Amino acid sequence: MLTSGLLFYILAAAIVLFAIAVVMSSNPIYSALYLALTMVTLAFMFFMLNAPFIAGVQLIVYAGAVVVLFTMVMMLFDLKKEQEAFARGKFTGFIKIASAGWLCGLIAGAVYMSSEMIVSGSKAVSENTATTKNLAIELFTNYILAFEALGILLLLIAVGAVSISRIKGGTHA
Amino acid sequence: MGSDAFEIAINLVKMIVIFLLMVQLVPLLVWIERRGSAFIQNRFGPNRVGPLGLTQLLADAVKFIFKEEFIPSRSRKFLFYAAPVMSLIPGALAFGSIPLSLPINVEAFEMFGQTWGPYRFAFQSFEIGVGIVFVLGISSLGAYGMLTAGWASVNKYSIFGALRASAQMISYELALGLSLVGIILIYGTFDFSVMISEQTGPLSFMWFGSEVVIPFLPNWGIFYQPLGALLLFITMFAETNRAPFDLPEAEAELVAGYHTEYGGLKMNMFYIGEYGHMMVASALMTTFYFGGYHLPFVDPDTVNTALMYNGYSATMASVLTALTFHLVFFAKLFLFLWIFIWVRWTLPRFRYDQLMDLGWKKLLPWALANTMVTAVVVFLMRSWS
Repeated sequence: MLTSGLLFYILAAAIVLFAIAVVMSSNPIYSALYLALTMVTLAFMFFMLNAPFIAGVQLIVYAGAVVVLFTMVMMLFDLKKEQEAFARGKFTGFIKIASAGWLCGLIAGAVYMSSEMIVSGSKAVSENTATTKNLAIELFTNYILAFEALGILLLLIAVGAVSISRIKGGTHA
Repeated sequence: MGSDAFEIAINLVKMIVIFLLMVQLVPLLVWIERRGSAFIQNRFGPNRVGPLGLTQLLADAVKFIFKEEFIPSRSRKFLFYAAPVMSLIPGALAFGSIPLSLPINVEAFEMFGQTWGPYRFAFQSFEIGVGIVFVLGISSLGAYGMLTAGWASVNKYSIFGALRASAQMISYELALGLSLVGIILIYGTFDFSVMISEQTGPLSFMWFGSEVVIPFLPNWGIFYQPLGALLLFITMFAETNRAPFDLPEAEAELVAGYHTEYGGLKMNMFYIGEYGHMMVASALMTTFYFGGYHLPFVDPDTVNTALMYNGYSATMASVLTALTFHLVFFAKLFLFLWIFIWVRWTLPRFRYDQLMDLGWKKLLPWALANTMVTAVVVFLMRSWS
């Protein structure tokens, strides 16, 4: 019990530190690498919370594919102009302040709305998502609408990305 | 970890031993690769140092350690040092979660005036219930080692190698994951040990409500999923960046790809990472499609009781049985490792567009079709009975 508690705090501290480093590093490639570290530590956190399937999927999808793609694409570009553009300027300053406010609002809203529905950790995990089978049953019966909606959203994003890259006459669409 | 000091100690030792096992196999594989390639190309290969050139491995290790350390002056130093480690760790972690033999059962015994209760030690570094998902997730992290190596070197050849490597790994990961879905559907588990224990005995399956037994074939996954096995095998070559998919280090175009600037022990760590990935790939092939550590038609319990009958204690018999089946596992593992080497020195390298076409337009649709057909057949056969 003590060791798992200790591990939890170590992992939690690591996640927060890496997440801060994502925002603080001026070089976008370092940001992306810190993001990968955040994803990996988050996956190990899921392992600790008895959700091994979600942990594995987190590793495969986010750490293994999405962030690799981010990093790869950023390595392709010469990012000096973008770095300067993002470092100063009224418009980016406005975006920074706006996103900080947005984040504060999200956190406050989440805390405010979830204070009534706190479930004790062991119950939440063991009853629904402990085994992969239960997770699948929950996903494909109770939450099928949300699941399908997310699938359609992802499809829309893919189609949108292709159409945007075609507008400017790209050859690699 | 374990409930008392003895169990924790054994589990820690086990982790180190299995990691060292993986690392120590690498020089041997390098020797097999050099001798094998020489054999295929009608040369001699290393045959001067020691019997059959075997001590060449030691000489190579000494050379790797004592080579001058070289860092490009404009490189990103920290990432330059971190990249070899990043490419070594995923292979080692993935190999640690694959069961290499039967679990060892230790009976209760007396030591230091205290009774140490019965134990069960799995023959792997650590047990994870969703082993397959874990292995796929961890080995997909291998792309970072190559990416950072290429980028940190600040060398155009390196970065091209890194970009090719990561694009290739991401593209083939989809086909890899989908080719495994069929076998997961059939056995209905993510656990390696359960999957291996399902593959014992003669080939038997349900066919429209009646049980079919073919006594002269083992109950291996390859007889249920031949297409899945073939797809997994092809994608594994791409995932390990071995020929014919070794475009990330295509020496005719890119000098040495992402590890152009590396030398000495850092270079060696990339080697260990690559061979580690090969071992994981071969172990996965063995576990999914060739019965894991089981010898066809030999029941482990028979071996165990035979050993007990010959005067060994229960603990000793369990250890010896596990070691026997460990050897069986390694025989199968080495067969696949040899095929890896064989293919490398037989087939020419793909062109990059051919590689992408093969991954996205051939392997992925075939893997999808395999998944669909398997799902329909499994559903039909289960609802019949």
